[in-house]
Amino acid sequence: MVFRSNIWPEYLFPSPLGVLQNLDSGFRDGSLFIAIGISIKRVLTGYMISLTAGLTLGLLIIRFSYLDETLSPLLLGFQTLPSICWLPLAILWFGIGEDSIIFVIAIGSIFSISIATLSGIKNVPPIYMRVAKTMGAKGLKAYTTVVIPAALPAIISGMKQGWSFAWRALMAGELLSPKDGLGYALTIGRDLHDMNQVVGVMIIIIFIGLVVDNLIFGKLEYSIRYRWGLTQT
Amino acid sequence: MLRIEGVSKSFSTDARITDTLENIDLTVVKGEFVSLVGPSGCGKSTLLNIIAGLEKTSSGKILKKEAEITEAGPDRVMMFQEAALFPWLKVIDNVEYGMKMAGVPKRERREKAMYYLKMVHLTQSASSYPHELSGGMRQRVALARALATDTDILLMDEPFAALDSQTRNILHVELQHIWEATKKTIIFVTHNVEEAVLLADRVLVMSVNPGTIKKEFKVGLARPRDIENPELTVVVNKIIRELKEEVQKVAKAEFDSDWSIRKGSAIPTPT
Repeated sequence: MVFRSNIWPEYLFPSPLGVLQNLDSGFRDGSLFIAIGISIKRVLTGYMISLTAGLTLGLLIIRFSYLDETLSPLLLGFQTLPSICWLPLAILWFGIGEDSIIFVIAIGSIFSISIATLSGIKNVPPIYMRVAKTMGAKGLKAYTTVVIPAALPAIISGMKQGWSFAWRALMAGELLSPKDGLGYALTIGRDLHDMNQVVGVMIIIIFIGLVVDNLIFGKLEYSIRYRWGLTQT
Repeated sequence: MLRIEGVSKSFSTDARITDTLENIDLTVVKGEFVSLVGPSGCGKSTLLNIIAGLEKTSSGKILKKEAEITEAGPDRVMMFQEAALFPWLKVIDNVEYGMKMAGVPKRERREKAMYYLKMVHLTQSASSYPHELSGGMRQRVALARALATDTDILLMDEPFAALDSQTRNILHVELQHIWEATKKTIIFVTHNVEEAVLLADRVLVMSVNPGTIKKEFKVGLARPRDIENPELTVVVNKIIRELKEEVQKVAKAEFDSDWSIRKGSAIPTPT
């Protein structure tokens, strides 16, 4: 309807049909599949790094209280920093290319994951630990059998949040230091004034983000919350 | 046998140091059922936590079979007011938890867990998750979980206080049977005097400020006991009389100085 009203010329606001046609030809010649594949590979690599590092960091901070006192405020500060702000630093450290994009993805999601791990573990009801102790569980055993399972719903939520941060960081990274991928497809669209492609790629980005968020993390989160008895029935 | 020798416990806040327990001496023989009653704040739960090894004493010690207790262990399992089952484990895995920590092999674990689940009549719920059970059922699972550790002392901190009275009455009867069948030593903390007299061989009344054992009542009634037994009511009334004084003491400390139990809460006339 907005398109029909003819307020903007077609090169600024594309017709739905044009967008569909563009998506169709993109999928037909495979260029969009390649772009999606490359982007997904990047985000997965970056996300895996941040998952490992974020969880480790969270667990380390819990283990050593002086780390908690010194690092926790810092983590919170870093989390408020938009991931794109890391890009200049990343480019200087790793050069323009794959490594700096992956760095930005990892750094963009690492803090929300470790903060969630941290608060998840801190909010474990103390009674569980008392039960574990009176049942003879000690040290690492108590940690793996009680503390981590009890904190899992919170950790999963953090992972979900971390994913959406990673996805955003990927786009930012690809827009600014591109060779390929979905962000690059956006940049090309802009350079060529091909609004159909710009909007088409945006739709793909939204779609993938939603699918992963809802279908993968949403289901995981729900099933864990259900099992833990945290949902209302 | 459990011996408590001169145990004191004081908590220090910034403002002052409060003595919750003062010089408690108590001996509990094997297979005995002892109840601790007292007004809130008398430190009865603290004493139980100390026996469990979940809290440290300020002075004095606790000996079990002449060995000093320093930390929590599965030989003195504690049950709480909330069942505190692990929600991520099935009922059967919850019951197995203590045995798993002790390194009991899988098959033996399962068999024993089923045995104790049968004792609390919940074999049908073995593969349910805790959130699917009612409060009474959860507390039964917690009991099975505690028994399954092969504990010889069972510490119970108001385990039935959060249940409705019908469920509680049923569990009172069953706990008597289970105690007779398993011959565990039980130390049972409650503020419900009837419950204490119904279940215990010995009821200890604790006083507040300082928290000491004020008086001891031996309950020599035949088992299984019935809550409607008039002889039981006689003992209950004796204990309640003893407690009243302590409850008043607590209230006087908490309320305004014009409060007394006879007047109830006197309503001042507005001026």
